[in-house]
Amino acid sequence: MHLLNFLPATFFRWCQHTWIARYQADSLWAFAIIETVHILGLTVLLGTLLAMDLRLLGLSMRRYSTVQVAKELTPLTLGALGVMVLTGIPMFMYQAIRYSTSTPFFIKMVFLLSAISLHFTIHRKAILRDVNEDTRLGKVSACLSLMCWLGVAFAGRAIAFVQ
Amino acid sequence: MMYATHLNSKIKMSFLQFIQWLNDTHWSTALREGDNAFPIVESFHILALGFSVGTIMLVDLRLMGLSFRRVRASDLIRQFEPWAMGGFSVMLLSGLLLFFAEPLKAYTTIAFRIKILLLILAGLNVWLFHKGIYRRVAQWDDAAVVPWQAKLTGYSSLILWLGIIVCGRWTTYF
Repeated sequence: MHLLNFLPATFFRWCQHTWIARYQADSLWAFAIIETVHILGLTVLLGTLLAMDLRLLGLSMRRYSTVQVAKELTPLTLGALGVMVLTGIPMFMYQAIRYSTSTPFFIKMVFLLSAISLHFTIHRKAILRDVNEDTRLGKVSACLSLMCWLGVAFAGRAIAFVQ
Repeated sequence: MMYATHLNSKIKMSFLQFIQWLNDTHWSTALREGDNAFPIVESFHILALGFSVGTIMLVDLRLMGLSFRRVRASDLIRQFEPWAMGGFSVMLLSGLLLFFAEPLKAYTTIAFRIKILLLILAGLNVWLFHKGIYRRVAQWDDAAVVPWQAKLTGYSSLILWLGIIVCGRWTTYF
């Protein structure tokens, strides 16, 4: 299962001919810099997500309410996510044709969509509901969240090694 | 003077020989040329970044006064310490394995040498923090704006880890 099952080959060819893709192909540093920023964003994203999910699981920061913790972490999470997307898109463009037939890349996208959907729905609801006490919703959504984001990360790593 | 430099180059020669020997061992070669071992270890190394540097970064932001200002500094540090310790243990173990897979390449790569130097500085930064201003944390625990020594620790930590991650990535290129 890969993206080529869902999108035409011409789309991926077009991606690889965009300005940003060509720039990375011609430049010695561009891809390296973009990828490095992608990794820095990954560090921040995983760190804030872990911190929030630890709170939802009741494993840390129990003195502070879920809403308080979320208030501090959310700007960082969203900022980091923005950085990931802003660096991820050029990285995709650069090797679009390769990703079109990559199964790990497809799995990564599935996990990413799941993670983002969960984040803005039941995860958010759990944070609001758990203000006074830990509920099962909080624990379940924290586990699902961690699983999805780690799925994104591991599948992303597998792209380089599995076709 | 000449004896000192002669001795110095002798020490350097034997360390390089050690690295070369390490590189030629059966285990090192197996790790390097095997199908799955290296990618898997590398994945753990990169993903444990979130657990280690990611949580430390939140403490740094508190010390810098940019986040969690109404949370007690000691609370934050105590809460994240076990996770940071766990994360760093994975980083150290996977890092050692990665070095062991390509000792010669790592040793001769400038980015890797800088990374090790920065790691030592990062460790020193933490040690100085705990020996110094953190001893008096009760005095500034609740303050949104912390003493300059703590703030400096936060900024230094963030910049050092940024450098470490960048050098880590660029080890592959040089």
